[in-house]
Amino acid sequence: MPQIIDVCPLSDLPPGAVRLVEWEDLEIGVFNCGGTVYAIEDRCTHDDGTLADGELDQEACTIECPRHGSLFDLRTGKPKTLPAYVPVDTFPVIIDEEKIKLEVE
Amino acid sequence: MATPETVLPEPEVLTENEQLGKINSDYTERYGFHDAENYLYKAPKGLTRQTVEMISDFKSEPEWMREFRLKALDHFLARKQPTWGSPMLAEVDYDNIRYFVRASETPSRSWDDVPEDVKRTFDRLGIPEAERKFLSGVGAQYESEVVYHQVHKDLEAQGVIFTDMDTALREHEDLVRKYFATIIPPNDNKLAALNSAVWSGGSFVYVPEGVHVEMPLQAYFRINTENMGQFERTLIIAEPGSYVHYVEGCTAPTYSSDSLHSAVVELIAQPGARIRYTTVQNWSMNVFNLVTKRAVAYEDATVEWVDCNLGSKLTMKYPSIYLLGERAHGEVLSIAFAGAGQHQDAGAKIVHAAPNTTSNIFAKSISKDGGRGSYRGLLEVAKGAHGSKSKVVCDALLLDEHSRSDTYPTIRIGENDVDVGHEATVSKVGEDQLFYLRSHGIPEEEASKLIVNGFIEPITKELPMEYAVEMNRLIELQMEGSIG
Repeated sequence: MPQIIDVCPLSDLPPGAVRLVEWEDLEIGVFNCGGTVYAIEDRCTHDDGTLADGELDQEACTIECPRHGSLFDLRTGKPKTLPAYVPVDTFPVIIDEEKIKLEVE
Repeated sequence: MATPETVLPEPEVLTENEQLGKINSDYTERYGFHDAENYLYKAPKGLTRQTVEMISDFKSEPEWMREFRLKALDHFLARKQPTWGSPMLAEVDYDNIRYFVRASETPSRSWDDVPEDVKRTFDRLGIPEAERKFLSGVGAQYESEVVYHQVHKDLEAQGVIFTDMDTALREHEDLVRKYFATIIPPNDNKLAALNSAVWSGGSFVYVPEGVHVEMPLQAYFRINTENMGQFERTLIIAEPGSYVHYVEGCTAPTYSSDSLHSAVVELIAQPGARIRYTTVQNWSMNVFNLVTKRAVAYEDATVEWVDCNLGSKLTMKYPSIYLLGERAHGEVLSIAFAGAGQHQDAGAKIVHAAPNTTSNIFAKSISKDGGRGSYRGLLEVAKGAHGSKSKVVCDALLLDEHSRSDTYPTIRIGENDVDVGHEATVSKVGEDQLFYLRSHGIPEEEASKLIVNGFIEPITKELPMEYAVEMNRLIELQMEGSIG
């Protein structure tokens, strides 16, 4: 059953900013990419490292895994470069009255 | 073949010491010589931001490549030297390496335009002759850059691109930008980061849809300067249904201090394409050979690495294949020969990431005179890659008591419906085998060569004939003086 969880006010996550939220045993990275907010599981599918510490490319809408350099598309969760080849999970983002919320399941 | 008029020379009878001496003298004569250095530019030793910017300036690169290099340099500096693999890695002195040496202005398409001394080197190594006889195209890299490049006209007419990587960046920037570093990102590992920062030369191959390049394309890599770093970058793209066989060879002069060769090679086999990549590595004994090679194979595509490591002080190289499309096939055939003072840490990685994919790894190592041969491999079957099949066979042959063989296989299986086999053997050239052959009138040294040739035959038979002959000759050379 999907649940809606609060992240933060939109004003607290300006373009280029990243925030981590926890839900149950999941860590979710929330990224403001040029004004659009995306959320992906914060776990590289290559070796389980955190992605939120990596470099965010707002133009390409990608996050680079800081451990081995895989680029993940924040819109789809798909890796654009090896060594990762499995997509990371993505989560629908809801902007409700200037607040960022996520739909999780 | 001998004709009735031919007078065959009397076989040379040499003592063991003479035979041992002959190994080195032959390498020096055939490959280990070095030329006078009439270079246009030779960078000072050591790696700095200025060196990286200078390389980019020299090549008049687009801004994105300059930024790519500088970011890679940061990754290289931030990463620690790996501690796994071989203790010899600790000996690599990055401050005592020249990262860029320019021998000629631009790659030439006419052999006559290649600088005289460089030409003499490649003549001596038989490159132009090989091109005339049995190749579709040839590239020759001397130090940091490619000095000669040629491809058959009919292939060019079919849209095949075979050029050096620097030229490709200038003339086919969109293609390069689309695929460059997508298989091996700069932050993949410390050596890939180093290559990404200072890469120069290497080959760019593009085979259009449905085109079969019937004869191999060859690249020849030569280091001449002492304490040189060669960092070529190769990218091969085979469009759907195409086929190409790329062969590379490498040698260097024998020096008392070390050089570094750290290449990055990326292969992309689109649906139904087939790429075969053959390496005959015969660096001199003062070269650290630390290379990252990786391929992707999409639906119904095939990638084959045929990897022969004879030379170098230390080789760490594990050609990888990611089988990303259904029914893709990957194959790695690896031979490593470790003599005195050498560590060949070679192997393969195959990832089954799609259903009904298949793979084989056949690795053979031979160790003698205290040399160390290691097999290091990964076989991974991802969840969902049902119906996949893989066979891994690694065999080691020890020729004496002082030599060493190690096997480090890793197997990860994330799916139930798969068929995976792993076999490993270590054997010694036994007294009984030698006795059997000697009892048939075969001298001991000859018998030992026969056993080794039989051991590696499953792999040499996969080489083009000319290379198989050369490979057997090199193995025989390495084997001389091994009994006693």
